[in-house]
Amino acid sequence: MNEQNFGDLARRDTERHLLVAVDESDNSRRAVMYVADFFSGYADVFITLLSIIREPSEDFFPTETERQTWLQKKKSEMETHLAEYKAILIDAGFQTNRVETRLSIRPCISIGDAILEEQAKLRCCIVVVGRRGISHSEEFILGSTSSKILHHATHCAVMVVE
Amino acid sequence: MMAQPAETLNETTVRKLIARHGGADRVPRRFKLITDTSDFFRVEYNDVVILGGVPYWVKRYEKEGRFGLDDEPKYWVRRAVELTTGATRIIKLVFHEQFDTIIGDVKITCFRSPKKEARLLDLVAGHKNFMHGRWVLDAAGNNVRILEFIRGPRFDDVITGYGTDHHDYFHHHFLRVLDQFIELIQAIKFLHDQGEKHGDIRRDHIIWDEATQANRWIDFDYNYMQGESLFTFDLQGLGNILIFLAGRGDVLVPDLYHQQREIFDTLWGEDLSIAYKNRVANLQKIYPYIPDSLNRVLLHFSFGANIFYETTDQLLADLATARVDMVSLTGRQL
Repeated sequence: MNEQNFGDLARRDTERHLLVAVDESDNSRRAVMYVADFFSGYADVFITLLSIIREPSEDFFPTETERQTWLQKKKSEMETHLAEYKAILIDAGFQTNRVETRLSIRPCISIGDAILEEQAKLRCCIVVVGRRGISHSEEFILGSTSSKILHHATHCAVMVVE
Repeated sequence: MMAQPAETLNETTVRKLIARHGGADRVPRRFKLITDTSDFFRVEYNDVVILGGVPYWVKRYEKEGRFGLDDEPKYWVRRAVELTTGATRIIKLVFHEQFDTIIGDVKITCFRSPKKEARLLDLVAGHKNFMHGRWVLDAAGNNVRILEFIRGPRFDDVITGYGTDHHDYFHHHFLRVLDQFIELIQAIKFLHDQGEKHGDIRRDHIIWDEATQANRWIDFDYNYMQGESLFTFDLQGLGNILIFLAGRGDVLVPDLYHQQREIFDTLWGEDLSIAYKNRVANLQKIYPYIPDSLNRVLLHFSFGANIFYETTDQLLADLATARVDMVSLTGRQL
């Protein structure tokens, strides 16, 4: 997995840098395919595929070993998904060096906030997310990442792919 | 009073301690001394559990109304007498329960986590709006929580006794209730600011402590697999309680249908609670004197809401505005 060159901010500011926030869901795949279809013709577009894995609380696991096992499994699964998503973009015509993947495992209160923190760090001009199409009740009780990003994103555009 | 470990705990010394704190005539003829609580069904009435060197004389189990079942026994939660001090304690033994609960039409997987409750007990030690206690590992490594017993009624039982009717309640008592509830939300904010959640915010989890004259949150051993945000589930719990407080009880749709048909006919689906669709959230339709500012807060928890509270700060800010309007309405300044 490539490390982003955070120091080269001037380059970031002049590029069309898209942050595509993904998880293992079908709507994430749809978002990646949409980006592939829509932006593969542009030579100056740079894509970061980002996945956030929320570090689970110790409360959910009887032992730390089980927690670590869960995390390793989740990380491995997500790396596989990221590789697949990257392949979709490459197949669509993106240059390999124009697509990076980034997997962040961290404790976080809100996934949406974590994505926006990454957006600010990477200075991406567009954040792309898939939309799960959750019910009104589910959004009320569990929250919605796409709604959070729509309401709180600053200094960037937001694309929500249905 | 701090518990002091008993010197040498055998059946004879324990009998003496029971006689001292319970009376000689109440010393049981037979009982077990238990140091491993893994099988909590083995812990029976009158047994003595030894935790951290301190003997606890086990009495009745606690009960809880949940999922429509009133007074469901909680066999892993026992009332006990701390035999070094005579104080009543609540002993919570380890029970790794996992279950799905449905709120609205959403299924949430909940866990009972002794580790979480132990961590929060350390965090809220000294905070007047939470239950207090300590935790110890028993001989088998089970995390057992030893809670101070709070004497007093449930908060919701207290407030439904205020006033002769809703108009009287709302104009003469609700401001005080609102202030108490704002204090309780600030307590939840304290948890959230530390990255923790209560996990099971319900109105029967608030006890009015007669000794300290403060409301206290109890039972925070629940955790759940959250979605986008850690705190939304807590916030919807706060909203449900607020609707209850503002209405002096839940305003139920079937009751309106049978008893106040003219009001029932004005209701739309969007007026109902998003979490419990048989309850009215838009209470201004029932009680027109409820200020707009307060009703707007309630509408955040209604089916018609397009935007939800994400933080306790947002809720507290809106309630501060509502409080100002309540002061204007009632002419009272507490």
